[in-house]
Amino acid sequence: MNAIAFTGVTKRYGDVLAVDGLDLEIPAGATVALLGPNGAGKSTSINMLLGLLRPSSGEIRVFGSPPETAVADGEIGAMLQEGALIPELTVAETVDFVRRLYPRPLPLEEILRLADLTELARRRADRLSGGQTQRVRFALAIAGGPRLLLLDEPTAAMDVESRRTFWDNMRAYAAGGRTILFATHYLEEADENADRVVVIARGRVVADGSAAEIKAGVAGQAVSFLLGDQPVAGLDALPGTTGVELQGGRVTLRTTDLDATVAALYRKTTLDVRDLQVHGADLEDAFLALTKEA
Amino acid sequence: MRHYIKVEMLRMLRNKRYIIFVVAFPVGFYLLYSNLWGSESDQATGLRGSVLLMVSMAAYGALAAAMMSTAVPWSQERHSGWLRQLQITPLPGRAIILTKLASSMLLVLPSLLLVGLAAVLTQHVSLPPLQWAELILAMWAGTIPFAALGLAIGSLLPPDTAQPVAMIGMFGLALLGGLWFPESMMPAAMKSIAHVTPSYDYARVGWQIAAGEAPHAADAAGILAWGVALVALALVAYRRATVRA
Repeated sequence: MNAIAFTGVTKRYGDVLAVDGLDLEIPAGATVALLGPNGAGKSTSINMLLGLLRPSSGEIRVFGSPPETAVADGEIGAMLQEGALIPELTVAETVDFVRRLYPRPLPLEEILRLADLTELARRRADRLSGGQTQRVRFALAIAGGPRLLLLDEPTAAMDVESRRTFWDNMRAYAAGGRTILFATHYLEEADENADRVVVIARGRVVADGSAAEIKAGVAGQAVSFLLGDQPVAGLDALPGTTGVELQGGRVTLRTTDLDATVAALYRKTTLDVRDLQVHGADLEDAFLALTKEA
Repeated sequence: MRHYIKVEMLRMLRNKRYIIFVVAFPVGFYLLYSNLWGSESDQATGLRGSVLLMVSMAAYGALAAAMMSTAVPWSQERHSGWLRQLQITPLPGRAIILTKLASSMLLVLPSLLLVGLAAVLTQHVSLPPLQWAELILAMWAGTIPFAALGLAIGSLLPPDTAQPVAMIGMFGLALLGGLWFPESMMPAAMKSIAHVTPSYDYARVGWQIAAGEAPHAADAAGILAWGVALVALALVAYRRATVRA
């Protein structure tokens, strides 16, 4: 069964189209990264999955039910971008309060252990650091033992060490066959922690697959050189070239066939080519190529 | 929902501002004023000062508790994202405002009971048991309009505006209701404003019961009408604040 199904979902704020005909299915048990630049529609999609926003058109199903029903049944847990705690309550009181709102919660000790909070259990929320607060918010997201966990840029306020621990904790929670969807604009996070990466830009899915497939699916390599005042025209017609960018006198050619492009550059043009550099493809390049404004 | 109420109480009882304004202020001022004027008798109501002041200070404490436990905390929860945290749990939306109202009503009790206790212990105020029961019950139920007003403020305003508005509202209502000094001392213009405030009706019902009279119909009707109007406003404001786009 699909944990998540978006069918032709559109969300419009006035004149702005935040989500533009999104179709996406995520089977139960998968860990999926929703990767995209700021403003791509990641948070809007997650808020619609939680019933906090309603789609302007289209349909969303969570385990076959409308989002509101899934939330009321305790099927979804989420860590949203913002969310302060009640300052006067301790970590254990806060977590215990939220877990009791769910029909099938995890035991308190297990939640605290999964979120690395056992030692902070008796600390008041107003005495926690930013990273510790994030851990409590993760604890609140898993408190009800939800089958679907949504994380909206969960590591935004964390240092490198906390990030690593956070993803370990997430994997421990996912291991029970649970479905995870996390939004991020960190490519490494998507690469390392998801078995599927959905790239969205301007409210649409622009790529969907494993991190390796996404890297392979775009123009693999690039070559750049100093062009100076020479004309840029005609470079896009070189064999293998899929894109031309000019920035401060340096031109970058994206190519699927590096050898052919470079050979043609020397043989078929009369340009004075200086400081030639070849760039390998990584997910960062793939991501930029995919999400670049059309 | 019972656990939710417990959590709400716990957090307010740990809040210094609540304890100072709501518990320490009314009891402290009762002790001070009743020492000064406790044995004088009031001409308008015929009450001894110790009894009159007991009702006034209990009314102030209850009014302050009802507004302090609602307006600012609720506004902060909306803005800090705590409300969203609750909206994505199975907790039904209406449970949030009902819990806020119920907890606020419970948080009113410490100031009501402690001022009463101070009156009994220091001024030897004594009333027949039935009259005590009536007085406490009426003063307790009478805080509903103020809790509703606090919730409406919390729903309509961001925290940095809700804070001064709630403070001004709270002291303004206490002042105009004649809780700090008798309405007969007010200038005429202020008097006519005072007469339409819910706190004026609220205090008068308290004094009437303490004097062994039945509450006057006009005062009881006044507080009831305010209650209905402010609860309706609180519900509309809550709906507006939690609406899903």
